[in-house]
Amino acid sequence: MENSAIVVASDVHKYFGHGETAVHALDGVTISFLRGQYTAIMGPSGSGKSTLMHCLAGLDRPTSGSVTIDGVEITTLDDKRLTDLRRDKIGFIFQAFNLLPVLNAEENITLPLTIAGRDIDKGWVDRLIETVGLDDRRAHRPSELSGGQQQRVAIARALVTRPAVVFADEPTGNLDSKSSAEVLRLLRNAVDEFNQTVVMVTHDAEAASVGDRLVVLRDGRICHDAASGTREQVDDLMRTTGIEAAARG
Amino acid sequence: MAALTVRGLLARKMRAVLTGLAVLLGVAMISGTYVFTDTINSTFEKVFETANEGVDVVVSGRSEFDTDTGPVTQEIPESLVNRVKDVPGVQTAAGNVEDFASIFKANGDQVKTGGAPPLLFSRPPEQFDPLDYVEGEPPASPQEVALNKGTADEEGLKIGDRVSLVGRTGREDFRISGLATFGDVESLGGATVSVVTLPEAQLLADQRGKVDSVQVGAEPGVTPQELVTRIERVMPDTVEVKTGEQVATDQSDSIKSSLSFLNILLLVFAGIAVFVGAFIIFNTFSITVAQRTREFALLRTMGASRGQVLRSVMLEALVVGLIASVLGLLLGIATAQGINALFKAFGANLPQEGLVLKPRTIIVALLVGTVVTMLSSLAPARRATRVPPLAAMREEAAAPEPPTRRRKILSWALLFIGAAAVLIGLFGGGPAGQALGLLGIGAILVFIAVALLSPRLVPPIAAAVGYPLERLRGVAGCLARENALRNPGRTAVTAAALMIGLALVTFVAILADGVKASVDDTISKDMRAQIVVLNKDGFSPISPQTGDAVNRVPGVETVSPLNTSQAKVGGVSGKPFGSGIDPATFDEVWDMHIDRGPPDVLSTLSGRDIALEKNWAEDNNFDLGDTVRMTTPVGEKPVLRVRGTYEDKGALVGDFVVTHDLIRQDFGMRDDLFEFVAVQPGADPKAVQDRIDRVLEQRFPITESQSRTEFQESITGQVDQFLFLIYALLSLSVIVSLFGIVNTLVLSIHERTREIGMMRAIGTPRSLVRRIVRYESVITALIGAALGLAVGFFLGVVTTIALEDEGFILSIPYITLIAFAVLAVIAGVLAAILPARRASRLNVLEALAYE
Repeated sequence: MENSAIVVASDVHKYFGHGETAVHALDGVTISFLRGQYTAIMGPSGSGKSTLMHCLAGLDRPTSGSVTIDGVEITTLDDKRLTDLRRDKIGFIFQAFNLLPVLNAEENITLPLTIAGRDIDKGWVDRLIETVGLDDRRAHRPSELSGGQQQRVAIARALVTRPAVVFADEPTGNLDSKSSAEVLRLLRNAVDEFNQTVVMVTHDAEAASVGDRLVVLRDGRICHDAASGTREQVDDLMRTTGIEAAARG
Repeated sequence: MAALTVRGLLARKMRAVLTGLAVLLGVAMISGTYVFTDTINSTFEKVFETANEGVDVVVSGRSEFDTDTGPVTQEIPESLVNRVKDVPGVQTAAGNVEDFASIFKANGDQVKTGGAPPLLFSRPPEQFDPLDYVEGEPPASPQEVALNKGTADEEGLKIGDRVSLVGRTGREDFRISGLATFGDVESLGGATVSVVTLPEAQLLADQRGKVDSVQVGAEPGVTPQELVTRIERVMPDTVEVKTGEQVATDQSDSIKSSLSFLNILLLVFAGIAVFVGAFIIFNTFSITVAQRTREFALLRTMGASRGQVLRSVMLEALVVGLIASVLGLLLGIATAQGINALFKAFGANLPQEGLVLKPRTIIVALLVGTVVTMLSSLAPARRATRVPPLAAMREEAAAPEPPTRRRKILSWALLFIGAAAVLIGLFGGGPAGQALGLLGIGAILVFIAVALLSPRLVPPIAAAVGYPLERLRGVAGCLARENALRNPGRTAVTAAALMIGLALVTFVAILADGVKASVDDTISKDMRAQIVVLNKDGFSPISPQTGDAVNRVPGVETVSPLNTSQAKVGGVSGKPFGSGIDPATFDEVWDMHIDRGPPDVLSTLSGRDIALEKNWAEDNNFDLGDTVRMTTPVGEKPVLRVRGTYEDKGALVGDFVVTHDLIRQDFGMRDDLFEFVAVQPGADPKAVQDRIDRVLEQRFPITESQSRTEFQESITGQVDQFLFLIYALLSLSVIVSLFGIVNTLVLSIHERTREIGMMRAIGTPRSLVRRIVRYESVITALIGAALGLAVGFFLGVVTTIALEDEGFILSIPYITLIAFAVLAVIAGVLAAILPARRASRLNVLEALAYE
């Protein structure tokens, strides 16, 4: 159904540089993401998966093609409108957590609301903090939190504005397996419990198998797009598409 | 290693430039000062050489020493000219008059000189005349005058035009007969030159039958030196005989010594700017060393020795310091003109031509800039050597080390020693020079101590000044405050640089307010005269004939003159200032508070008596009845008896009071400073003042009358003018400290690149990013202002209390101090412009990927 597609990309091209040295990072990608769907994007290095996510999230502009988020065409927005759109419609989770060291956990979580100057829905924030299991860590600063805890703060921060879509860029890349599992569970939870749409770029087969849908990119094109399947199926797929599995100690 | 350093510098151009600027400005001011004063000196040398060209020997009144306002000579009888002529070997001898006379155009407008003197010369015989009459003829009749061409061109005066000259005896009318240039000297710095015939010059200078000097030309074959000896033999000992060459040297030496004060003043302020710059260099190198921890660790891992790391940082400092010094030197040469403009704006127009760049200027500028940069970066460089190789493995840059106990003790010790030095300097009762030295050293120690202690002061101040920002500006204010607190030491040193400038302006503002308050107080309480007549510029002398003219105005009861000079006193260092009063009338115009001696001491003062200022007498151990042996500027040696001491709160009369006649005759001071006017009982002072003004306008247009209120305003106006000059000079230090803020912000933002990327990604508008940076800058500036106002307040109040005896009244210029705080905020906003722009324009994706 058309109205349940939150993010729609059609024929997105992205070149870096020009002339003979131009790199064709995205070569006509058309894809849509449905509300309440948990999609994992994989692909070998240089496949264009990060570029795709940057274009979908309004962090980068495609060279041509169209991207709409919640019905808004974002490729033609100016910087101000794009910034507002990111603020109101998109949640971000980064590999490197990217919390503000000068704010405590709770303040980091509510930062997007503070920036927007919106009233803080205390009940919602409390529920999020409880969900991510940081009730006793509210007043701690990032330097006093473990990596897994920091990423949980980042997840709560991404969800606090009830965005149309959450983009997660290798969210488990910097975490041990226990923390990774916790983070993935929380994202799954967000989809199941809050009907949140999540798009995640990852190297991690474990992460990819948690999603509803797995998209594989190669040379700037989509080469696989289907339901996720089990961990073993993902591993097989990775072997056939030549994706290197994330190193795990 | 050296190549690595240079590569590093190139890679971090912005930082190198900002660091360099901190040194550059101070160096520019040092070299600018030297070039400026050297140029003036050389111009004057040229002027005096030209003026004495063709003159072999000069006979003039004896001069013992120069007063602070210049040399004083005594006029000599014109009859000496003929006695000189009779000396064998003399070919030509001519009397010469050099004085001052203001030029007025036919429409009544005065030709302004911008603080330069309006010179009046008598027309000498052709062979002595330094002027080249490029248009028209030299003055031949009493009604003719020649002007310097520069003045005439500027004022649109032509040959045949009518002008008036106003000298000591009042206004005289002339016709312009010629225009002349002064040798090949292009600019006399606003000075005007009028040349009239000798008798006319004597009339204007009020010295009929007298001349200032006799210029002598030798017969061929007679050396000037030989002629000096011959002439000396027949001259009275009240005159000096010198060669023309000697006179030229003496004259330019005298200019040099009066300029040396200016030179020192400017260098002091340049020194302050360099001192502030040192803070910034220290801070910048500290920050960058911390940021490069991993780089140093990596070098150490690969086997670089501590010495190599130290040398690499020091080499960076050397390169930055040297380049900045060279650029500073060049800027200084360029701004020597700017300094001239500054002085012109404050009413001191000095001649300047052909910039003089002495090797000394180059050496001092390069040495100061380079050495200061290297010394300031020594501590950070040593810190770089202590980075353990293991740090290469760590993720984050090292957190700032907490201040050690030793450092804490050292800081407090410095603070106490500094404060003690200030107090001993002020209250210790030592000579003025020693007191000033202690005050200066004390202030420097206090500055350094506060800077060392300020990391501990930053959190509370940041919380205090950040609180309203946070309340009013929400997230931006909160983040700004937290960012400022992230590394208190860094914020502290940045703020401390601004503190120095602000402390000094606060100090000066409080002192100036004290002076103004005491002047106001003295004039309103002690001045009995309703009117005072003085030069329009407020401080130049006026002709005593002004007093005579005013005395004839209906409604005037008494006119009492005051003249001033300086003397050398046996057993006392320095050249104390004193005044001459008319004993018969002074009590009617001024209520002097007599401390010791008979209450009527001033009205019964004889030509052999002296009254001393209370504190001066105490400091120099003079008691009633003691003998004061003086040497006057013209070499007279009056022996005076102390008859009383007085209080001189407004510093009106100075260290001693003698009779008006004594100053006039024995001190060679032919002019008065003030004419105090008491109006007749029942007469309307305003009406009398109007009548006086009409007379003055007619005959002595360089003078004006002032009521008590106007007199107060005129003196406080002069204090303000000096105050603004000091502000202007201190503004350089403040500008340097602003570069410090810019520098710290740029480096901090660099560290926070990824944070800013994240903020932008999750929807922070550019404007909010800018605002956060701006508020951080404002908070830093306000911390500097708070520290500066506090330290300046302490220094100002303590100094005022110490000077209470001298009539300083403690008066706090609250409005001014609030204005300083407001200016600090504005400065903070300005300093943030560039860093905020850089922060808001960061590319989000690159910033997120930044390590």
